[in-house]
Amino acid sequence: MESSVPLGGYLAVGLMMFIVGVVGVVIRRNPIVIFMCIELMLNAVNLTLLAFAKYGPIVKGADPTQTAMAGQMMVIFVMAVAAAEVAVGLGIIMAIYRLRHTIDVDEMSVMRG
Amino acid sequence: MEAAKNLIWLVLFLPVVGSLIQALIGGRVLKQLGPKKGKGLMGLLAVTPIAIAFGIGAYLTMQLSQAEPSSRHAVATLFSWIDFSSISIPFEVIIDPLSMTMVLIITGIGSLIHLYATGYMAEEKEYPRFFTYLNLFIAAMLILVLGNNLALMFIGWEGVGVCSYLLIGFWYKDVVNAKAANKAFIVNRIGDWGLTLGMFLLASFFLANIGKMQVAAGETRWLSYDVLLPNAVTLLQSNPGIATAIALLFFVGACGKSAQFPLYFWLPDAMAGPTPVSALIHAATMVTSGVVMLNRLHVLFELSPVASAVIAMVGAFTALFAAAIAFGQTDIKKVLAYSTVSQLGFMFIGCGAGGYWTGMFHVTTHAFFKALLFLGSGAVIYAMAHNQDMRNYGNLRKYLPITFATMFIGFLAIAGVPGLAGFFSKEAILGYALGNHHAQAGGYNLGVVAGWTGLVVAAMTACYMTRMTWLTFFGPERWRAIPEAAHHDHHEEHVEHHAHADHGPDEHGFFMTEDELHAQPHEHEHHHDLDASHAPKEVPPSMYVPLVVLAALSLFGGYLLHNNEMLEKWLYPTGLPVLTELEKHPHGLPLMALSIGAASLGLAIGLFMYWKGLPASEGWDLTKWAPWRRAAANQFGYDDAMVSSAVEGGDQIATALWKRVDVGIVDRIVNGLGGLANGVGRGLSWFQTGQVRGYALMMLAGVALLLGYVAFKMKARETEPMEHVEMTQEVARR
Repeated sequence: MESSVPLGGYLAVGLMMFIVGVVGVVIRRNPIVIFMCIELMLNAVNLTLLAFAKYGPIVKGADPTQTAMAGQMMVIFVMAVAAAEVAVGLGIIMAIYRLRHTIDVDEMSVMRG
Repeated sequence: MEAAKNLIWLVLFLPVVGSLIQALIGGRVLKQLGPKKGKGLMGLLAVTPIAIAFGIGAYLTMQLSQAEPSSRHAVATLFSWIDFSSISIPFEVIIDPLSMTMVLIITGIGSLIHLYATGYMAEEKEYPRFFTYLNLFIAAMLILVLGNNLALMFIGWEGVGVCSYLLIGFWYKDVVNAKAANKAFIVNRIGDWGLTLGMFLLASFFLANIGKMQVAAGETRWLSYDVLLPNAVTLLQSNPGIATAIALLFFVGACGKSAQFPLYFWLPDAMAGPTPVSALIHAATMVTSGVVMLNRLHVLFELSPVASAVIAMVGAFTALFAAAIAFGQTDIKKVLAYSTVSQLGFMFIGCGAGGYWTGMFHVTTHAFFKALLFLGSGAVIYAMAHNQDMRNYGNLRKYLPITFATMFIGFLAIAGVPGLAGFFSKEAILGYALGNHHAQAGGYNLGVVAGWTGLVVAAMTACYMTRMTWLTFFGPERWRAIPEAAHHDHHEEHVEHHAHADHGPDEHGFFMTEDELHAQPHEHEHHHDLDASHAPKEVPPSMYVPLVVLAALSLFGGYLLHNNEMLEKWLYPTGLPVLTELEKHPHGLPLMALSIGAASLGLAIGLFMYWKGLPASEGWDLTKWAPWRRAAANQFGYDDAMVSSAVEGGDQIATALWKRVDVGIVDRIVNGLGGLANGVGRGLSWFQTGQVRGYALMMLAGVALLLGYVAFKMKARETEPMEHVEMTQEVARR
């Protein structure tokens, strides 16, 4: 099944999503937004994995079917892990809010060395 | 001989059994039967094993003497003790003239002294403990002389050292005794160091030359004398350097145990032990084990003229030095202690000159008369309320007739009066020393020097023994008028010792104070004072019977052993293997006249000086003493120098090690490592801001760096092998 979208297009979108996610994590102070940005980064990676799965192996001699299966498998894993991570992370955010009545990450600096 | 040889195990194990009986049931018996009956029974149980052992030893010696001289040799093996493929050391004993001579001395004199001790220690509370140690000592000493290999000899060597330590410190609650015991033990360690090094050197030299040894196939008992000594001649003759090294190392061991200069100074302090111990261990048996070892390993010493010269000269110097110190002593036991050191020096002169049997001859006669003199001095001390200072004695022949008669014989024997034991053995030693040239170093015949020194020492011996005898048994009864100032001198000295004691504060109250020591009834030798009304009484039969026997031996023993060269033919029937025939008398020297002359000169000077009793120049007032005599009383400063250099020098070395090495190097490394970790942590904590977003930025930077590095590497690879290029081309084509 040939597609009109080339591999470079997928990779460019993934790269942009990743950069948006990174910048968001670094500059935002609201942990909910930071989480959303982390999701963006994860999904950028997912997109890249799927693109490579679709376009076959870049290593010479590897089995294309295997490569496709592996890429899609990884995506499923990442999604599952991301869901679990969000559940735990939101729980932590709730706990911190109850304790300190704020969730600004810059306020959370008790671990300073 | 072969049939009877297993009886030797009885000789060896009877004292062990005796010791166990004393240790295990002694206390209970004393409690059950009461002190008087209990001590009687335990005393009997202490003497009997030694006496039986003596009987068996005498029987075995008879058997041995009936065999041909060349076959007077039997080895009895009990079990295999250490057994490797390259070396095996069985538990085996040797029955030959040398070992049986020592067995007779040890068990014979030992049983007499045990008998004496039952009387001397009658007031002692811990009676079984004393006899436990004493029997154990006999067992250890028997292992030393009977063991057929160097390892067994070493066991005995250490065993007697331990027993000596235990017995010197028998009254361990007095810190002076505890310190004397420690001193003896520590100084002996130095000797043992030499002995073990000698053993290791000998064993490793033999193992390195195993191919050249002439032994039966499968023979691996390298340390056993019957394998070792014949091979030593062939192997060491071509290696004089190693022979000298081995001989000198063994001699260091002999110096420690036999109290030779520079290691003699533990023996005078060892007199802190009970007097029977001084007689048995520190005069008659243990201190002669160096001479016994020299006789046992005489092949090694024969091979090295240099080592022999060293032995003769050390012996001569020790004899002279100790004889000089004896003039400054006022304690009757100290005089005898220095006399013992001096006589041991004589034995080493004889051995160094190659006359090994003369050393054993003097060991034997010295065991007779010195045990007699010590036991006699013990009787005097016992009669004089445990006061040991000769300045308090005088005219005791009136009160102690038997002690006086026997001790006088001992005095004549040690002084070298013709016909008595000491005369023959000393003359034999001097004859060998003056007549031979075996003991050579650097072309000088040092044996002759040692011989002339020995002649001078013989005169000195006669003189100081006259001093001791006359101060004790003749002259006025000085204890009737002890100057008030001097009355407590003995105890002041004692207190001074306590003050000098550097054992640290006695926090647990373990050692008794001076007052407590005096409050102990019949527990300690220094318990009550001698005063003007004191009336000395003759000692009980258990104490004078041994004196009489020993006096008889001192009278006739020397002549019997000397007559027809009996001891020499008994010990060395076929001569020495290396030196073969030695001269017995110097050419052109009237040896007998010289030794009689030396003895009579010493006696004459002694009589002239002490005929009227204690001269004022040796009285209670130390300031009136001649300077040389004060120096002699102080061992010419040698003991102080040794003790302070060892104790304080050791302290300084330890302090220097602590300050320089421990604090300066070890601590600095450890602290430096800690400081390094601290500094690194401090530096890195700058990154630990606590800001989550900062961490995210750092992660980003890290990932960027890593990726950049990987990309750089990939780019570098592109120019290299074809397949990589193909791979990237394929990716690019898609």
